[in-house]
Amino acid sequence: MAALDQKSPNVLLQSLCCRITGKSEADVAHQFQYAVRVIGSNYAPTIERDEFLVSEKIKKELLKQRREADAALFSELHRKLQTQGVLKHRWSVLYLLLSLCEDPRKPSSRVPGYGALFAQGLPRDAHSTPFYCARPQSLALGYADRAGSMHTSASLGTSGISSLGTYTLNGPTLTPPCLLPQTQAPGDSLRQQLGPRLAWTLPPSASPSATAPTSRTSLGPPGPAVRALHRPRREGDDGVAEVSEVALVRDILYVFQGIDGKFIKMCSPENGYKIDAKMPLSKSLRDISSRLAELGWLHNKVRKYTDARSLDRAFGLVGQSFCASLHQELKEYYRLLSVLHSQLQVEDDQGVNLGSESTLTLRRLLVWTYDPKIRLKTLAALVDYCQGPKGGELASAVHAYGKTGDPYMRALVQHILGLVSHPILNFLYGWIYDGELEDTYHEFFVASDPTVKTDRLWHDKYSLRKSMIPSFITMDQARKVLLIGKSINFLHQVCHDRTPPGKITPASKSTESPKDAAELITDLEGAFQGKIDAAYFETSKYLLDILNKNYLLLEHLQAMRRYLLLGQGDFIRHLMDLLKPELARPATTLYQHNLTGILETAVRATNAQFDSSEILKRLDVRLLEVSPGDTGWDVFSLDYHVDGPIATVFTRECMSCYLRVFNFLWRAKRMEYILTDIWKGQMCNAKLLKAMPELSGVLHQCHILASEMVHFIHQMQYYITFEVLECSWDELWNKVQQAQDLDHIIAAHEVFLDTIISRCLLDNNSRSLLNQLRAIFDQIIEFQNAQDTLYRSALEELQFRLQFEEKKQQREAEGEWGVTAAEEAEEKKRIQEFQETIPKMRSQLRILTHFYQGIVQQFLVLLMSSSDESLQFLSFRLDFNEHYKARDPRLRVSLGATRGRRSSNV
Amino acid sequence: MASAQNLNAVRETMDVLLEISKLLNTGLDMESLSICVRLCEQGINPEALSSVIKELRKASDAFKASESSTN
Repeated sequence: MAALDQKSPNVLLQSLCCRITGKSEADVAHQFQYAVRVIGSNYAPTIERDEFLVSEKIKKELLKQRREADAALFSELHRKLQTQGVLKHRWSVLYLLLSLCEDPRKPSSRVPGYGALFAQGLPRDAHSTPFYCARPQSLALGYADRAGSMHTSASLGTSGISSLGTYTLNGPTLTPPCLLPQTQAPGDSLRQQLGPRLAWTLPPSASPSATAPTSRTSLGPPGPAVRALHRPRREGDDGVAEVSEVALVRDILYVFQGIDGKFIKMCSPENGYKIDAKMPLSKSLRDISSRLAELGWLHNKVRKYTDARSLDRAFGLVGQSFCASLHQELKEYYRLLSVLHSQLQVEDDQGVNLGSESTLTLRRLLVWTYDPKIRLKTLAALVDYCQGPKGGELASAVHAYGKTGDPYMRALVQHILGLVSHPILNFLYGWIYDGELEDTYHEFFVASDPTVKTDRLWHDKYSLRKSMIPSFITMDQARKVLLIGKSINFLHQVCHDRTPPGKITPASKSTESPKDAAELITDLEGAFQGKIDAAYFETSKYLLDILNKNYLLLEHLQAMRRYLLLGQGDFIRHLMDLLKPELARPATTLYQHNLTGILETAVRATNAQFDSSEILKRLDVRLLEVSPGDTGWDVFSLDYHVDGPIATVFTRECMSCYLRVFNFLWRAKRMEYILTDIWKGQMCNAKLLKAMPELSGVLHQCHILASEMVHFIHQMQYYITFEVLECSWDELWNKVQQAQDLDHIIAAHEVFLDTIISRCLLDNNSRSLLNQLRAIFDQIIEFQNAQDTLYRSALEELQFRLQFEEKKQQREAEGEWGVTAAEEAEEKKRIQEFQETIPKMRSQLRILTHFYQGIVQQFLVLLMSSSDESLQFLSFRLDFNEHYKARDPRLRVSLGATRGRRSSNV
Repeated sequence: MASAQNLNAVRETMDVLLEISKLLNTGLDMESLSICVRLCEQGINPEALSSVIKELRKASDAFKASESSTN
């Protein structure tokens, strides 16, 4: 051996050539040259100089050939070799031997012999360095086609099958750190870690890396897919044609798009994707396929929805934009699918052996489609939720879905919400800046009623469609929006004010793009509110300015007060003076033009003439319906004409309220007037009738009754004028001055009228009170009549007596008997007659008084039990000296009981 | 240098290697094996060497085949 050591390589080489070929040295020249060339070019080995690794490889080889005993033997020999320590490059020798190793089962020809064992290795060698694990799961596919090599993996180790079996049951535990795409270094290091363990086959431990060696033989990186793949392989028999993973992957790709694959078909009764049960498919593959098929199901759902809805024109703009956004998402999804498909194509083109960087397995698909699955799930859930609604409701539904903690989902829903709400915001801006409403599909929350004419524009034409208000717009904002648009339309149509809206609100125009809409949605509190508020203030202010300047709204309000609510005292007084003789006639004889003439006179004679002509020309007389037996007093009424924009505030209902109140006030005023007359008469005639002492009792009664009545009426008037009219008016005026928009004015006005009506006992609750009051008024009129007759007869009597006296004196002056007996007797008789009428009058008055007081007491009782505080105070005032309380036990009880308390228990 | 121990060891080593070679069914006889070992000891790339050997075998087979066919 020592001598041999000293020979040069060339010599050795030559001798080797001779030896192997069995020829003489001269014949092997060609081969020798070749050999020299090869050796020379590949001088430095490219493999790792790891003897241990090589020995492992050898053992593996032996095990692969099911020669476990030989493997053990080799181990022994190797140990011996190591102990001997003669060789310096043991690894080299071992490697050489390994590379010359031949599987005795393989066919004898050497050329295919290369391929048999090292097919996986060789192409790698052809690339660059061996053991390069850039080719992962192509191996899996390779196995699919090579039935023969399957049992190589299956036969791995004595306990190999069982141990791997346990792995299938446990399932993949940890995924090894390096998945795909693989790089060389980690694979190598992993390999080195795993290499040694191979020797002791595969102890059934749960360490995941231990399973990797099964794939290590296949030279790919230990991907979980390979592990998974080994599982099915194990269960299958070698000979049966199982459905390959490639075919399944292809199928799955079709299913992703919603098309039925060869094995996986849509099963409509169960509404799901089902794998054909007859196919020889392992359970795990089935499971994975089912999980992946879910994606196809989701896709179908979303697709069906968008297809159905896109065609439906009545779905509206919002719905269309929703479909568009869904479509966008689906496009992304399709892009992913096309990428996957191209991967598959590449594999097909290049053949299974080579494979590209990353090939498709079900596992890979699972990982890659995880994110899209979440997306599609969200979309499908949205689709479910939004099946029915459209317009604003749809936006609300989408918005509701955005309330989730998952940021990914939230971002997605926000994006869709931005797109969906873009048309709504367009509507909104068109409405609040231009007053235009072009909403063919009834999606916006402002609804316009086309049947309403301009005079009811403000009240009836525009309303809120509550169901269409998106949930991200509050009720308050929605009302403001309605108001703004209404104001603009009002200005245009009723006030005939054509100022372009740009002048009113110098705000920006509508959103240009969905991105603005999306931004606005996210900043609802700030920017959106600000926009609406600004538009609201500007528009309302402008409207009020126009109304006040051009249409004198406030002036008209005051005029109403003055004329219809008897505010202008001197005018009303004078009018009444002038009208008194007219109105005393029966109603049928009255003519309107007469009364109008009187009205004009009254206006000219008083301060009313200084009012603007605009107001005066609206003032008019109105004659109410005539019932038989009416005097003029019952049918007379003033009227005030309103038209144009003012009619919005003074609607017909309001005007009728005004007229009712006027009626009431006019009556009360008339009572006052009557009593004034009575008092006047009393004052005048008192002195005159002092000469008739027998009348004094009657007259006294009259006076008492009259003062009672006067007191009563005075208190009523005070109550009406001050507590009702003035207070309410003050409130109204304040509110109107501070009003920010027309709605406020209208509301304040209505409150005013309601208060007046209820306080003036004109509403339904106070009907009994009103009847009482009317009865009192009637009594007053009766009293007036009675008093008139009394005075008339008394004055007549007085006249006669005076005449008699005069005659007597005249006769005495002439020297005759003053009074003849017959005349005296006549006189006496007359006086007697007269005096007999006095008790009648007295009793009449007494009855009148009694009746009157009874009514007043009832009135007081009712007042006490009313729920309105001011009426209760009225009752105090009316009975301030408890005059009535003394008379009526009922009053005593009720007054005592309810004083300080509000109740209606009487 | 060439002590009896050494020689013994070397022989043993060669025996072991021959055993291994037989196990692995490399088809190398003792002499070829020894030449290969010597070459490897001198630092020749075993990959290259193995490919050379395979090539040589192929050539010899072909030669033998052609010889047998012509013969």
